[in-house]
Amino acid sequence: MSDEEHHFESKADAGASKTYPQQAGTIRKNGYIVIKGRPCKVVEVSTSKTGKHGHAKCHFVGIDIFTAKKLEDIVPSSHNCDVPHVNRTDYQLIDISEDGFVSLLTENGNTKDDLRLPTDDSLLAQIKDGFAEGKDLVVSVMSAMGEEQICSLKDIGPK
Amino acid sequence: MQGFPGGLPDLAHLQATMNAIEHACSLIQMHMNPAEAESVIASLHSSHMPYQTCRFIIETSKVPNARFQAAGAIGDAAIREWGILIDENKRSLIIFCLQYVMEHASAPDAYVQSKVSAVAARLLKRGWLEFPEAEKAAILFEVKQSILGNHGSGPQFVGINFVESLVSEFSPSTSSDLGLPREFHEQCQSFLEMNYLKEFYCWAQAALLSVSNKILEHPTSVPEEKVCSAALRLMFQILNWDFKHTANEPDNSHSRINTLTSGIRHDAVMLKKFDHSLVKPGPTWNDVLISSGHTSWLLNFYATLREKCSYDTLWIDSPIAVSARQLIVQLCSLAGAVFPSDNGETQIKHIALILSAIIQWIDPPDVISASIQSGQSESEFIDGCHALLSMASLTSAMLFDNLLTSVRPYGTIHVLSSLTSEVVKILTVNQDEEETWSADALDILLETWSVTLGQMDGDKTILPHDRVFAASSLFNTIVESHLKAAADSALDENDDTEYFHASVSKRDERLASYALIARAAADMTVPFLVRLFSERFSLLSQRISGNESTRTLEELYWLLLITGHVLTDSGEGETALVPEALQAGFLNVVEAVHHPVVALSWSIIQFSRQCLDTEMRSMYFSPRLMEAVIWFLARWVATYLLPLDTRKEQISTTYHDDGSQHESQFSRKILLTFAVEHNQVDFVLDSVVRISAATLTLYPGENELQALTCQKLLAALVRHKQISVRLLLLDSWRDLARAFANERALFSVNARIQRSLAETLVCAASFIKDSEASAQYLRDLLGPIVACLVDNSSRNDLKAVAQQADAIYMVSCLLERLRGAARATQPRTQKALFEMGHSMMNPLLTLLEAYKNQSAVVYLILKFVVDFVDGQVVYLGAKETTILINFCLRLLQIYSCNNIGKISLSLSTSLRSEAQVEKYKDLRALLQLLTNICSKDLVDFSSVGDDENTTDISEVIYVGLHIVTPLISLDLLKYPKLSRDYFALVSHMLEVYPEKVAQLNKDAFAHVIGTLDFGIQHQDIDVFEKCLSAVNALASYHFKQRSAGKEGLNAQTVESQGSNGKLQESITSHFLRLLMQLLLFEDFRMELAGSAADALLPLLLCEQDLYQRLVQELLERQPIPALKSRLASAFHSLTSSNQLSSSLNRPNRQRFRKNLHEFLVEVSGFMRIK
Repeated sequence: MSDEEHHFESKADAGASKTYPQQAGTIRKNGYIVIKGRPCKVVEVSTSKTGKHGHAKCHFVGIDIFTAKKLEDIVPSSHNCDVPHVNRTDYQLIDISEDGFVSLLTENGNTKDDLRLPTDDSLLAQIKDGFAEGKDLVVSVMSAMGEEQICSLKDIGPK
Repeated sequence: MQGFPGGLPDLAHLQATMNAIEHACSLIQMHMNPAEAESVIASLHSSHMPYQTCRFIIETSKVPNARFQAAGAIGDAAIREWGILIDENKRSLIIFCLQYVMEHASAPDAYVQSKVSAVAARLLKRGWLEFPEAEKAAILFEVKQSILGNHGSGPQFVGINFVESLVSEFSPSTSSDLGLPREFHEQCQSFLEMNYLKEFYCWAQAALLSVSNKILEHPTSVPEEKVCSAALRLMFQILNWDFKHTANEPDNSHSRINTLTSGIRHDAVMLKKFDHSLVKPGPTWNDVLISSGHTSWLLNFYATLREKCSYDTLWIDSPIAVSARQLIVQLCSLAGAVFPSDNGETQIKHIALILSAIIQWIDPPDVISASIQSGQSESEFIDGCHALLSMASLTSAMLFDNLLTSVRPYGTIHVLSSLTSEVVKILTVNQDEEETWSADALDILLETWSVTLGQMDGDKTILPHDRVFAASSLFNTIVESHLKAAADSALDENDDTEYFHASVSKRDERLASYALIARAAADMTVPFLVRLFSERFSLLSQRISGNESTRTLEELYWLLLITGHVLTDSGEGETALVPEALQAGFLNVVEAVHHPVVALSWSIIQFSRQCLDTEMRSMYFSPRLMEAVIWFLARWVATYLLPLDTRKEQISTTYHDDGSQHESQFSRKILLTFAVEHNQVDFVLDSVVRISAATLTLYPGENELQALTCQKLLAALVRHKQISVRLLLLDSWRDLARAFANERALFSVNARIQRSLAETLVCAASFIKDSEASAQYLRDLLGPIVACLVDNSSRNDLKAVAQQADAIYMVSCLLERLRGAARATQPRTQKALFEMGHSMMNPLLTLLEAYKNQSAVVYLILKFVVDFVDGQVVYLGAKETTILINFCLRLLQIYSCNNIGKISLSLSTSLRSEAQVEKYKDLRALLQLLTNICSKDLVDFSSVGDDENTTDISEVIYVGLHIVTPLISLDLLKYPKLSRDYFALVSHMLEVYPEKVAQLNKDAFAHVIGTLDFGIQHQDIDVFEKCLSAVNALASYHFKQRSAGKEGLNAQTVESQGSNGKLQESITSHFLRLLMQLLLFEDFRMELAGSAADALLPLLLCEQDLYQRLVQELLERQPIPALKSRLASAFHSLTSSNQLSSSLNRPNRQRFRKNLHEFLVEVSGFMRIK
């Protein structure tokens, strides 16, 4: 049985490539796509034809996952689109420095100190207040195409 | 005025109020600060005894809006304070309103007058059952005098207008809210119908007569025209009444005979589509409507007026013309016992009379359509079409056709045919203009055809040859016009998909009507289609190219659609049958090769096969053409491949009643068996599977086409046993299954389509008789997929690899396939599929953990489990159930551990709302999962084995509820689907396992109660009912526990908003308060009284003391002594009448239901003050 064919092709170190080609027709709402060089979440897909008896094309509306800008693209549905590798990693928050950087504990015990606090006020307040109250906070960091950002927050401390 | 209610306030005060109201009205008109202005006006509506003030405003204010509002306030206040007004007051209010409108009949701002008159009508209805007969008669006598024209044309119009409001007030569908039970409205309705309605009609007639001469004689328009159109409108409105008292209906056993002899149909009920219904006023109306020659007078009146105003193109749309035509069309629908029982003679005469008059509106069609296109109004033409439709629905096809013979040398069907041709021509020429009159007219005319032809299937009357010819020539025109339009539009670039989707069902509806016409003349139209196809096929075989080929492709596209409709019925969700008209036709055909339907079918199938040729495909088989091909094949296969009759082998026994049918038998037999003969079934199936495989692999990215292939065509193949059995033996099917299991190519199909494909492939397995063979088929099909997921989930570097986009895509595809397989679970395949699912359980949990941050994958896992449980749970024995339930528990735990307390942060609101939507979908899936598990309680097909090991399902639900409830916020419950699922689960839980719910921890319990609170105050009627039954279950449990001397729910308390802030209360007293509040003061829907009674009874029994206290409070708060005593006695009989006892058995519940219903009827009039 040739089930070997179904194996994931990527290797653990394949992270070197930031994107992966995927046929436009198979990209669904809520998936990810690269539009104009930016990683986006797809919020709308519609299809149409080029002329009555032509081929289908997909119209994507995406929202940049880092800047929240709205981007659009039209691709023939049999062509490939770039799909970004979007990763989310959880870290425990260990410190907030005065200059707006956070200090995070990685899984292997090192610290990661190169991330800024988010700029959004309410989010910032939640992190700062939670930290000040001594809660054990875990933050999720979303990374794609060489950019990183804190995207969610969870209190794992005892109640 | 004597008896006018309310004390007389001083002038300054009146003036001040009037100024305030006037100011507010002007603010609203200028859209400045509308909220404040509205509250000023609302305060007038709700103030105590505002009558003098309102009267002052109506009589003196110069602002029409203020007078309008004041009139409305009189109505609202009087309805509200009806109980405290004395009879004298009520009468004087009505008379004041009527006098006011009579005196100001010719004043400008007519809307004020009609509001005042509507208020009078509303109050008259409110008092209808309590006023003495003489008083009502006196009021109506005055009205009659003015309608008859004794006071001039102004009051005449006002009188008619008042009666119009009165009739609409008395008709339940248009009546305004009086805060009274339905019975009151019904009594009023029947009273008016019996005693006044006909009289009103006669008044209107008299008014019409009194002004008609003047209108006809005067060369220009006169004020009496207003009276005239009002009278016509009133008559139309009266004929629109929903007549209940139609005695002497001929019973149905006779109606069939009547149909055969006279051609009048008594079974006609349709016309709903165009807001027309049959008018059956009953025998008492015969003198007014029929024997008096009313109809012919009206027709003459309209014709004369039309003649007189022929110079004026706008006249056709003038109020008088519109209302006259409305009335005429309504008279067409007259039916039932209003006609004497003379075998339909009078009715036929009546219809023929109207037809001979309205024929001028529609005939000759080409002249009229030309004049409409040059600017003439189309409304008369449309009304004429409506009249035709009404007539067609009341008569048999023969009679309908013969109606015209006295005035025209041809029949009605001929007219209908040329009318339709004309309209189709115009429509197809102006296709891009939306919503033209021709589209409306065509809809009506096609409905007329359906009505005329639809009945022929039943009584098998065969139309005479020239009528068939009319249908056939109409179909030719239709096809030719549409082909031309198709060819012309072939090169249009703008393929607006949204417009296309919105109009698909509309288009199909129209094509189905065309098909009905084609079938009526099948002997001519099917050969015609054969010819059209062969012309185009031969063009393609000449290898044409460029624009010419595009035009041909578009023509073929349209031809495939219409042919599909002609040969097959849509049969959505039904077993498709070969249309009877096609079976009954083609009497001369003795050989299959000469049967036009057979020829047409083979030529299309042969054509479709050409898409398997690479060169032909790339030249001609565009995605759009393929969509039509696949659609056609799906319908054709379902209908003709193995028709139901041959499948049951009843063909020789079904039709041998009489000679004529015996004759048709041969062609009928050909039609039903031509595919089976010479082993064509396998050939067709093989072609279909290969064409399907081609669309899936050779049309990358064409999602619509591929969805159609999997969901329509392949799904049609695996629906019936005989077809599936043959299918499974085909090499091409095995190739498809093998490709699906082992090759990468099909992964490039959209994941959702892969799911449908998996579903069809698995579905076929349930038709394999040998269970081992069936299991082997499934193993071959799904084994590689399962193995892949299992292998990958156990990789050491899973964490790193899993997040790669290609890995995510692969996992999504595999999960979708598994989900499709789970959805196809059948009794015969259940075991094998459970094995598959079982081996997947641990890997799935690993994946759920690995993909906790990829919501799309998490959702797919949840949905797979939902469908898997749904398919399996009812069959599982104790051991498997335990496995499944433990798996679900761990799934729930992992999910909740990853999601509880998580706050998603996002820069943009749109991304945040996306995240919200994802969360919502997850929760729905979880709720569905719990509900599916619960269904094991209700349906269980497993062989009953050892009882010791059975897992307690309630335990899972208990844990599940603990996990799910914290995730459900009140905000999320605002989504209707989610809240329905949630409350369905909660009410089920409380009914079946109240003891489990009582053990929930404090937070979770408070949460459940909180959501119930929310649900009870919810708008959705389903949710509300579910909450009531949940409260019922909760309180009943508590009551039973307490009666048994146990603690019940005493441990659980809830914070409730009492009269003095927050207080700790028991659950039952909390809900008692809430429910009482709801029943007495809020807009409570009577249809829920039953469920409310069920919930209230146990609450009452639990909290006797509190109940007494609440009743006392309510009584003390009621200021009016008369109402106080009514309320007290209502409360008394609520708990004491009908020998209500303090138990929760069924009879006692029934008694309480009755009591509560009476209680609500009694108090709802005065308690719900709004």
